[in-house]
Parts: sequence; structure tokens; C-alpha cells
Amino acid sequence: MKYDGNLPHASALPDAPLHMPKQQLERRRSLFQALRNAITTFSWL
Amino acid sequence: MMGPILVRGLALLTAAGSSLWGGYLFLQYTGADGISVLDLVRVSLVALSGFWLVWGATAAVLGVFTPARRPQFDPRAKPRGLTAILVPIYNEDPVTVFARIAAMNRSLVALGIEDRFHIAVLSDSNSLEAATEEAVWFEQLVREPASAGRIFYRRRENNVGKKAGNIEDFISRSGAAYDYALILDADSLMEGETIGELARRMDGDPGLGLLQTVPRVINAQTLFGRTMQFSAGYLSPAFARGASLMQGGEGPYWGHNAIVRVSAFAANCGLPVLSGKPPLGGHILSHDYVEAALLSRGGWTVAVDPALEGSFEEGPENLIEYAKRDRRWCQGNLQHWRLLGAPGLKWWSRFTFMQGVMAYVASPFWLLLLATSIVAAVFPRQPIVLPALPQAQTGIWGLALAVALVLVLPKVLILLRGMVDGQNRRVGGTFPALLSVGGEIVFSTILAPVMLLLQSRAVLQVLLGIDGGWPATQRGQSRLTLREAWAASWWIVLTGAVALGLTTTLAPAAAVWVVPATLPAILSPLLIAASSHGRAGARQPLLFRTPTEQCRSPVMEEHAAIVEQWTQRTVAAGQATGKIGLHVHA
Repeated sequence: MKYDGNLPHASALPDAPLHMPKQQLERRRSLFQALRNAITTFSWL
Repeated sequence: MMGPILVRGLALLTAAGSSLWGGYLFLQYTGADGISVLDLVRVSLVALSGFWLVWGATAAVLGVFTPARRPQFDPRAKPRGLTAILVPIYNEDPVTVFARIAAMNRSLVALGIEDRFHIAVLSDSNSLEAATEEAVWFEQLVREPASAGRIFYRRRENNVGKKAGNIEDFISRSGAAYDYALILDADSLMEGETIGELARRMDGDPGLGLLQTVPRVINAQTLFGRTMQFSAGYLSPAFARGASLMQGGEGPYWGHNAIVRVSAFAANCGLPVLSGKPPLGGHILSHDYVEAALLSRGGWTVAVDPALEGSFEEGPENLIEYAKRDRRWCQGNLQHWRLLGAPGLKWWSRFTFMQGVMAYVASPFWLLLLATSIVAAVFPRQPIVLPALPQAQTGIWGLALAVALVLVLPKVLILLRGMVDGQNRRVGGTFPALLSVGGEIVFSTILAPVMLLLQSRAVLQVLLGIDGGWPATQRGQSRLTLREAWAASWWIVLTGAVALGLTTTLAPAAAVWVVPATLPAILSPLLIAASSHGRAGARQPLLFRTPTEQCRSPVMEEHAAIVEQWTQRTVAAGQATGKIGLHVHA
């Protein structure tokens, strides 16, 4: 939604964006894990 | 003053030492004829649950011996930074919520510092009726003094991320306009003096990322609510002082009645959606602990000041409302299990997550201890795996006494301190304080088995993958009938009756240990219904009286006056519904 500037007694909230980057909380898989997963994927060959 | 690391070490040694000693005593008694596998399971449960019990008691004892320094400040000094006071709401009664905002605004205006504070109502209400009501009463709110250009309202169409998402939405859109954000709950109320001091503290310490106050519970009317209110008003400050001593600059954030530095919050607290489905995956429910940990990871100080007064909230008025909130907190805390290994977190933050997990897992542990003890009594001839320990001098009653002491000692010490530091005087004197502390111990002991079963069920539900969702808080609907109490607690009665029946039939000698736990469970509908009653409107009794009942804060008086004044205009406000609805886009 967007704030309505026509509110009779209050101007709209300031349009002042602030970036809020998503934090990393879960560990990314290691290179070894990624390789193992890739090999597992082709294990049927 | 000891550093936090030394205090943590001391508390850790006390808790670990006491729980190991308790486990040893338990094993001496239960394994008198040799130790079985069941004995080893039981002693592990005793040691693990006992550790967290002693840990909590240690924090309180530390708090008793920590001086409460009253902050000195000039309430009319203007903070340099601009603060946004954020009030996230979700299908609340707008009259009481907006009246609180009006009372806080008047308090700021009276001090002449209102121009350093904007107020934003951040609505996540998904009921059209609630949203319309909010729009009507916002019209009333902006008639308050100095509101032009300072008081805002916005409603999200999609309440993604719940409260944390609501705050994040505000910061992403308007955060750069503010230095600080005072994050409140819908039931929060704060004195203008306290709000001003929070902002000045942020001005004065550029490394301070978050400053938490210890809100006192107010306006409780029922026996349940007033016991919680007394506990929060009389006992909690000592616990908070102790916790603050241990936490140092890696302190807690309880999600409301706290000020944050917006730039630090934005840079560090964008919460990801956890992989997997709820309850353990998805959006982070108990976001506050995670945000505190992330600020700490980013090098910011996260502090709590228990000495800052003038910070209030309301609490659940009956056990069913309490259990609903606790179910949400349980899910949120168990979700933290997945974050124990999050990269870069400080060890204390990981420990805090573990503490939150154990706060809930301890209940099924105690329940399992009771169940295994019944099994051990029914089947006394277990295969022996280890030889018996030397016989105990103290016996099992000594251990039971030690557990009782751990639970009661901090409260007795707080009472004794109250005789010296004037806290007893603020609740009507030492005799009423003694009655109330005694009453609180009796009340919490009687309700403990009911709470234990409720928490155990909550943990089980989360582990089974049942999502508790985000039910709106029902405020002001406290009184429960016996029928309602029965509908919520029949399974507790059944569990208690089965456990007592089995024990008295199969192992009567063990009944003495089982009766104290099962009798309150069997009587739970009566306890829940009876404790939901109170004397609304009348002068509150001396029992469980709190400093805020004894001497109401000016902002509380202002709030009550505004609610009364506004509700007299309900009809007129109702007529305005259509007009305001045109101005607010949802």
C-alpha cells in the first residue's frame, strides 16, 4: 500500500527508504557438500 | 562491579555444581540397591532440569545484591536525534490503543520535547471491521495537540512476516528519516520522561544499538492477572538486574518498550525466512532474541536498564490467554534451536537461544521424570548396570527441600531487600509484601502442574509439526465460565486422573510424590475459572498490590481519562466512519 497524503490532520509518512539486507542465519552448504550432492545426483548413471 | 564474563562463570559454576550435586543425591536414593538404566535416565533429567532452575535462581540472587541506581536526568532536555515511536497493531481495540498513544503524546507535549518524536501506527489488521474502526479512531487521535505532521497511520494489505515484517516494512520505506525507533506493542504505555531519556541515552552513546526497559504489568483485574502483575512489578526487577549483570552489552530484547538505532537495526536485522515449513521453518516468530543477537554480531551494544521506570504493558488476564501466548512463544523459542549454529553469533547469544529452548523443553523433561518415576515405582526390579553409591545422609526429602529452596530463596531475599530499599513501602508495607510473596509462591506452585502440562503439549505440537499460527490477543475478555475452563483443560484433568489412578493402584507408596502434581491437574477447570475472576472497578485488595496500583503513574491516569472521554463520543465517531474511510487506503 502507499500512504495517503490526503489525510486531513497528518501528512504521509516520510518517503525515506532504508535498505534492510536479509541476514544469513543458516549455514550455507560447504563446497564438499555441494560436490557430494552433485555426484549423488548422477549416481544412477 | 564484576564483568559479565566473571558473573557468567560464577553463575555457570553454581548451576552446574548444584545440579550435579542434586543428581548425585538423587542417584544415592534411587540407586540404593544398584543403579539401573531407568535410574540413569531419571538422574540425567534431574540434572538437566535442575541446571536451568538454579541458573534462573542465581540470576535473581545476583539481582538482589546489585544496587538499583536511579538514573538522574533532565526530563525537559531535548534529544538531538529524531525518534519514530512505532505502534504495531493487529486486530486490536483502537480506542484503548489510540488512547495510549494520545496519553504518551500528551506526556511528550507537556515536557516540550514532542518535536523530536513522531508516532506511527503500523496496522497489520486483516479484519475489515477492525481496519474501519482504526480509521475512525485515528481521526480522533489526530485531534490531539501537536499531532499535525507527527502522527501517522498506515495499514499493510498483506501482513507478511507478522510483527517483525511490519517493522521492517516501515524501516524499508521511511527508516532513513529517523535516528531511532522506539518499538512498542499495542498494549505498551510509557511516560514521556522515559521516552525522552531513552533517546538521550542513544544520543550519548554512539555504540548503543538497542536499549530495553523492563515494562511493569498494569491494569490487571483478575486473580491470575494480578498475580502475574505482582510478579512482574515486585519480583522481576531483581531478576532483570541479575540478567543485566550477566548479559552486559549483549543483553536481551523483548520485542517492545525498547529503543533501537535505526541505521544499526536496518543494517543488521533484516530477518530471512528459514528454510522448511512452519513450525520450525518459515518466518521467525520470536524475532526479538534474534534481532538482539544480530545487533550484537554487528558490534553494537544491546543493553537493558531495569532502573528506568515509567514503562508499562498489559498482561493476560486468565490462564487460557496466557497459554495461547505461551504457545506462540514456545514455537518461536524452539525455532531458535535451528539458529544455534548461525554464523558469527556471539557465544552468549547462542547460550540465550539455548536458554529459550530449555525454558520450554524443561516442562516435558519434568513430566518425563514423573512418568519414569511412576514406572520405577511400579516395576522396582530393574536390571542393575552400575553398583550402588554410598548411602546418603540427607535422603530424598533433603533433595526435595533443596529444590524448594532454589524456588523460594530468591523471592525471600527480594522481600528482605524490600525492607531496606523501600520497595515494600511501595506495595503497602512489609506485611502486605510478605502476604503477596507467600500468595505468589502458593499460587504459582498450585498452577505449576497445569502450566507444565500446557507447555509439554505445546512442545509436542511443535515437534509434530503443528503450526500455532498468530492468533490475535483477546484483551478485556478475562472472565471464564467453568464450561469454558473445562473445554480448555479436560485433557489435563484426564492426564492427572490417569496418572494418580495408576500410581495409587500399582504403587501406593509412590502416591505421596504424585499427588502434589496430579491434584492441581484434576482440579484445573476450577482453578482456571476461579482465577479468571476479579473485582473490576473496585479498589484493589492489599494482596498482590503493586507500586503502580498504590500510586498510579501520570500517563496511566491520562490514559484512563482519555478512554473515558473518547468512549462518551462513540456515537459521534460512528457517524464519521464513512467520511474517514475515504481517506485511508488499505
